[in-house]
Amino acid sequence: MMNLTQKHWLKHAVTHIFEGFEDMRWKKSGSVKIAFFILILFFFAEIAHERLYGFQFYAVYDKTFNIIPYFIKSIVLFMAWTVGNWSVCTILDGEGTMKNIFIYSAYALVPYISQMYINTVLSHFLVRDEYVFMQMIEIMGTLWTAVLLFSAVKSVHQYTVLKTFSAVLLTVVAMFIMLVLLVLFMALVQQVYIFISTVYTEIVYRIRV
Amino acid sequence: MKSMLRKFLMLIFTFFVVGNIVNVSAVDASPYISYNYDCWGDAVPSQAGYIANRTVSGDDIGVDSFSEPSDIFFDGDNFYVADTGNNRIVSIDGRLEKVSAVYEKFEMQDGSFTTLNRPEGVFVSDDIIYIADTQNSRILLVSHDSEVLAEITKPDSEIYDRNKTFLPKRVIADKAGNIYAVLGNITTGCAMFGKHGEFMGFYGANRVEPTAEFVVNYFRNIFMSDKKKARRKRQVPSAITGFDIRGDFIFTCTASSSVLSDMVKKLNSAGKNIFAERNVSFGDYKLKYDTSHYKIPDSSICDIDISESGNINCLDFSTGHIFQYDEECNLLFIMGTSAEQTGGFESPSAIESAGENIYVLDSRKNNITVFTLTSFGKTVHKAVEMYNTGYYAESLDLWYEVLRRDGNYTYAYNGTAFALLRKGDYKNSMKYARLAGNSELYNKAFEEYRSVFLKENSAKIFFVLLTAGITFTALRKIKKRGERRS
Repeated sequence: MMNLTQKHWLKHAVTHIFEGFEDMRWKKSGSVKIAFFILILFFFAEIAHERLYGFQFYAVYDKTFNIIPYFIKSIVLFMAWTVGNWSVCTILDGEGTMKNIFIYSAYALVPYISQMYINTVLSHFLVRDEYVFMQMIEIMGTLWTAVLLFSAVKSVHQYTVLKTFSAVLLTVVAMFIMLVLLVLFMALVQQVYIFISTVYTEIVYRIRV
Repeated sequence: MKSMLRKFLMLIFTFFVVGNIVNVSAVDASPYISYNYDCWGDAVPSQAGYIANRTVSGDDIGVDSFSEPSDIFFDGDNFYVADTGNNRIVSIDGRLEKVSAVYEKFEMQDGSFTTLNRPEGVFVSDDIIYIADTQNSRILLVSHDSEVLAEITKPDSEIYDRNKTFLPKRVIADKAGNIYAVLGNITTGCAMFGKHGEFMGFYGANRVEPTAEFVVNYFRNIFMSDKKKARRKRQVPSAITGFDIRGDFIFTCTASSSVLSDMVKKLNSAGKNIFAERNVSFGDYKLKYDTSHYKIPDSSICDIDISESGNINCLDFSTGHIFQYDEECNLLFIMGTSAEQTGGFESPSAIESAGENIYVLDSRKNNITVFTLTSFGKTVHKAVEMYNTGYYAESLDLWYEVLRRDGNYTYAYNGTAFALLRKGDYKNSMKYARLAGNSELYNKAFEEYRSVFLKENSAKIFFVLLTAGITFTALRKIKKRGERRS
């Protein structure tokens, strides 16, 4: 019963939005390799969606290219979700390990990423009047991923629906806390750097005089 | 082998000589590098459309040198300069070579004589000279024989606040003889007078920009007593600084560093701003740090002029830049700077155009700078004129010529793309629209291109799709059969 390869498990999880992840958990399936691959695809999707979009929809400022925003929008955001979810759910009696949260969440992203690629390709064939089709695809992909993500959290931690809701909300809060800490840390590092550089300059001047 | 070497050396030699000649001819004497804006709003180097080739001072034309002149006007034959510091109006011939008349003393209707006191504005229409006699608080209508035809003083009207001064700074008159005056310290627009000098009200006031401060003050006012309200600073629009009339429209400009809307307005006879609904901007987008004044200058357009072909010339007081727009508000050229040399200004006060030339009056250098159109400028003007009057196909070659001379000229890419779209060359139209950064135009061209492509290749596309469908289903069946067997 259900002896599927890893690739088929991915298909199964994405197409069976309610019981797919339950089945995966029951069979202890899911591959870190595929999850990483999805994440990399997500990163490239962000870039493609911004840079390779059809010119008839928007003109992108192409004099400079900075990769950091795309990196943050995809990989850093996803990692923050994983870590945030893990830290919240460890307190809330969740059963998921960090590895499982990572795999399940990555699998759940597949419709969203596909939507990005499909729209990027379509934007070269459609005109502005037909934007509504692309919008439809975008909404469908996003909703699908939202449901999948919810289902992933629910089954990886074996929560009830209500508890999953609160877990997701708390995860978002945790992500914000991480952001605040990061900003604080950056400010601190900057202060320390300024202090050290000032002391250094002072010493150099004293030696010279 | 030897001949090869000689050839090579000759080649290098010619290269150097030609390079030097080209370099020499490319040097232009302006004290600035002419620039233009690309589709992203970044400043890029550009060919000069106008070149400042001479300056004219009072001594050059045979009168004493000007002193703080503040307005210049061209009536088709003569120039009129409001020579503020010398309390006179100087009339100069059309080529700016010789003075034709000096107006200092005027005969009133009762026979007495009157003089001017720091006149700041002059306008001529139908053989009447309109003088904004600023410090005498009046507007004089005089004939060419220095006879006063009418005198307009502070209006005795309920609309006009008696506590306010009456300092006319600029004056114009429309075809019907109605007189419009920009007044100092008045923020409710320019004063409008009838043919015989009767006050008719205000015209074309600027709006108050809804800034954050404005919104906060609105809510604060709800909770304030009337006494407190009276003491507060009131939100008033900025006053109009200069204007010009062309046909039935009055163009106004406002030199204010804080207000960006209403910087340049095109008013119809009802006083409605036609530019208000259109998303147009004037002046510099991003100003560079000025190393000689140690600050980033504020853009402030102090005078405006509409040339005969309908182009809008705006004079920026703080940077000395002159911006020329076509009648659709597309930027054509930027010229001028703040400098001592010819082509630079210290305190530019007024701008006027006559034929293809642009004349700028400087109140500190006390001279008039003449800008003449270059051959590049001529090509652009011709192309724009064709384009704006609807001769798209005819403008195409001119646009190509413009692009050959200046590949940074964004407007030309737009023009080419649109002309090609009209012509039916959708593929090239797409290419030029992309270069112009105009995604809306690209969308149009692409739509046409796609429909033509689909019409031509519908049979092929249908065939490919059919074959792909059949192959796909066949492969699937074979695969399924294989699975069942195993």
